Amino acid sequence: MAIINQATKELQVKIVYYGPAMGGKTTNLVQVHDHVQTAAGNKGKLVSLATSSDRTLFFDFLPIEAMSIKGFKTKFQLYTVPGQVIYNTTRQLVLRGVDGVVFVADSQYEKMTENVESFTNLEENLKTLKLNLGDIPYVLQYNKRDLPNVAPVEYMEFLLNNRELQVPSFTSSAHKCEGVFETLNMITRLLLHKFVNQGTPAYA
Amino acid sequence: MATLPQLIEEDIQRFEDELRELLTQTGATTALIIDKGGFLISSHGEARQFDLTTIAALASGAFMANQTIANLVHEDNFNSVYQQGQKYIMFVMEIDEHCMLVVIFSADLSVGVVKYFSAPATGRIAAQLQVAQERDPGGGLDLSILNVADTSDFFKRK
Repeated sequence: MAIINQATKELQVKIVYYGPAMGGKTTNLVQVHDHVQTAAGNKGKLVSLATSSDRTLFFDFLPIEAMSIKGFKTKFQLYTVPGQVIYNTTRQLVLRGVDGVVFVADSQYEKMTENVESFTNLEENLKTLKLNLGDIPYVLQYNKRDLPNVAPVEYMEFLLNNRELQVPSFTSSAHKCEGVFETLNMITRLLLHKFVNQGTPAYA
Repeated sequence: MATLPQLIEEDIQRFEDELRELLTQTGATTALIIDKGGFLISSHGEARQFDLTTIAALASGAFMANQTIANLVHEDNFNSVYQQGQKYIMFVMEIDEHCMLVVIFSADLSVGVVKYFSAPATGRIAAQLQVAQERDPGGGLDLSILNVADTSDFFKRK
């Protein structure tokens, strides 16, 4: 539910990083916060509502104002959700008003079941908000590719991107900032295409 | 995609007028109109003193969490909440299904006064949102002047 303010020429967009626990959602935001190139004052504080052991309790939040395009200020609000199964109500709250989703999957073989469960949970939670995943721009990020026990990308594609309309997917090692900006730029691109065209986003 | 109505200058002006009047009536420090998704729509008052973008995100999360608690105790809604601090108090009141009013004021002031004046203000703000909605009920986002042909480096890494 992006907000457009014609008076001040502002567009505000909400992107939610979703995925299983310990998959790297918060790391993505930390890397964006630490490495994004912005004009002074265009990057807000990274706010983390986390437990004492640094697990996300409610959400992480990072506001960034991107470059101005033809006089329009585009403000992005990046959120993460807590990955643990017990925090489902919290995930529903964070999803409210979502415009685009980055699904951060953990590439380790033993995490495949959790990836699929989390993806199914995303679809279910969107339904409670009367939203359909097919109508929302989203991208997949296969994280932790630098670990030794990772599943082949093809296998992860089969599990998570085996649909009529395949969405863009990226491999990443978020803690090294590899793949982080590629993912963010793609979801941004899909979102803006959707807003302009109000039709099927172009993935090309 | 469900969306708030597009807001034009007239709407924003009206919101700012309402917030200004509320601050005058109550002596509050800052007033904000925010969306339940966490977006800041309009604000008035001591903007430099607070990080309003983050306050909007957190206040909406806290309000929505309270709304979920309301459902658990068989209430339809807690339509207002407030947090008491030593220096400041934050009062949040629902405007309509999409938006909320947030008022931050000195702990020396009476919450009753803020509540008293906030209620009619939310009604008038809701009415203006309705006007915006009826202006173009099916209106989506008119971003035709944006050129999104190439956003590949929208965010650049340092």
